[in-house]
Amino acid sequence: MTPEQRRSNRIIGLVLLVFVVAIFAWAMFKGGSLFAGDGT
Amino acid sequence: MSSVTVDHVEPGHGHGHGHDDHHHAMPTGWRRWLFATNHKDIGTMYLIFSFLMLLEGGTLALLLRTELFEPGLQFFRPELFNQFTTMHGLIMVFGAIMPAFVGFANWMVPLQIGASDMAFARMNNLSFWILPMAALLLTASFFVPGGATAAGWTLYAPLSLQMGPGMDMAIFAMHIMGASSIMGAINVIVTILNMRAPGMTLMKMPLFCWTWLITAFLLIAVMPVLAAAVTMVLTDRHFGTDFFNAAAGGDPVLYQHVFWFFGHPEVYIMILPAFGIVSAVVPAFARKPLFGYASMVYATAAIAVLSFIVWAHHMFTTGMPVTGQLYFMYATMLISIPTGVKVFNWVATMWRGSMTFETPMLFAIGFIFVFTMGGFTGLILSVAPIDIQVHDTYYVVAHFHYVLVAGSLFGLFSGAYYWVPKWTGRMYNEKLGKLHFWSSLISFNVTFFPMHFLGLAGMPRRYADYAAQFTTFHQIATIGAFWFGLSQLIFLYAMLRCFAGKGEPAADKPWEGAEGLEWTVPSPAPFHTFETPPDVK
Repeated sequence: MTPEQRRSNRIIGLVLLVFVVAIFAWAMFKGGSLFAGDGT
Repeated sequence: MSSVTVDHVEPGHGHGHGHDDHHHAMPTGWRRWLFATNHKDIGTMYLIFSFLMLLEGGTLALLLRTELFEPGLQFFRPELFNQFTTMHGLIMVFGAIMPAFVGFANWMVPLQIGASDMAFARMNNLSFWILPMAALLLTASFFVPGGATAAGWTLYAPLSLQMGPGMDMAIFAMHIMGASSIMGAINVIVTILNMRAPGMTLMKMPLFCWTWLITAFLLIAVMPVLAAAVTMVLTDRHFGTDFFNAAAGGDPVLYQHVFWFFGHPEVYIMILPAFGIVSAVVPAFARKPLFGYASMVYATAAIAVLSFIVWAHHMFTTGMPVTGQLYFMYATMLISIPTGVKVFNWVATMWRGSMTFETPMLFAIGFIFVFTMGGFTGLILSVAPIDIQVHDTYYVVAHFHYVLVAGSLFGLFSGAYYWVPKWTGRMYNEKLGKLHFWSSLISFNVTFFPMHFLGLAGMPRRYADYAAQFTTFHQIATIGAFWFGLSQLIFLYAMLRCFAGKGEPAADKPWEGAEGLEWTVPSPAPFHTFETPPDVK
């Protein structure tokens, strides 16, 4: 694995991790807002 | 020639990188496995783990079938029966099928794209080693007060809000397994996007890698949703929230929406990699390139996209508006189009091919035939008025076992027999393989085919007892289940022989019609491969 590949792996991995955390947060907040009666 | 073949591999790039002549010596003893960063070792551990889980989940299934041999309660209290059904589902989905495919991905993706290893080797180690902890947690939950969770593998609220500490253990186990899946998926995506050999364009990639790439995107999109759903259950249970507690203004149906937003794509997570395996095996034994390679890629992507917009077909009985029912019914039916494209392409690949019927091909053809039956019953279930009639009956049990056993599991068997010569350097015993196939195919149908009629006649799922008129079909199913379970010992023996170094030595390319980079390296595949990337032209 070249250093450029390693760096690029890390960047793509972090982007995907942020995506995962965002979906988790969205599902929790959406669940919370539906619970509070705001279905929009 | 397959459409995913490699025109040319520079000599020596796949060979001569055995562990002995390399600066990273192969570790030995327990350190090799505990500190493993090699994709092949981690793949092997995933495969062993998933088979152990298959045995555990299978044992639970046989206990269920034993109780169901006769009406009335013979062996288990209904509470324990419910724990068995729940744990059977959880263990098979999260412990057996999903990790088995991750094992295949670990072994084959780097070999097929000409990469030296997975992109994140240490994270790969972590994502495997947290799995046995989760399995231990799940299994240990049988022994806490109240026993294991008995809410069904879907963990529906409000049942899941009422269980004992076994439920908390299951939630924690699912968090761990979800984290493992997410790490595995990120690893696969980054490996495929960033570590392909020069010249290995995306549209030259073997279909197994394509199906895994799409599966990995499904995983990172829906596993966090499952994590959120079970986290909300956890906070409802212990931290004073009421997301799903109707008595405090919450909504149990909300749980079903969140769960199935994960749950339906999960179905495709468990079947798309099997599509990839079958797409490798069928061309190899038909000695023809895969028919419609590009359409296979697009069909896989279409199935993945559609899987996000059909979740409420699992919830027709919850009382949704007719417009909602119509939307989810038609959207679900749409999935049959890309799935039909795939089945058509596999059959077209076989058409006028020079076919031979070694065990991997038998399992692939068995997969196509029996999975398609499961697909058809899925289509029937997508029709809202019919679904309302057979919801939570054995018809549904029959349907999803046709998809997950004859689909996912037969796909896994096909892949195991196809690639075991590369993994171990030994050929499996063909007679044992064929015996395993025919025994599994017949016993599978003996077990699950009668369940369609049980369901249509009104036998509800997850019941420990039943009315006397269902007895005969239940007895047939139980006999079939034990036959199917024992048949898997043939598979275990056939594989153990290979891993023990018994059997004919395997050639580098043991299958005449096989194409792809994995067949350019020696059998067994050396500890290090493709340290210098091959030049794919």
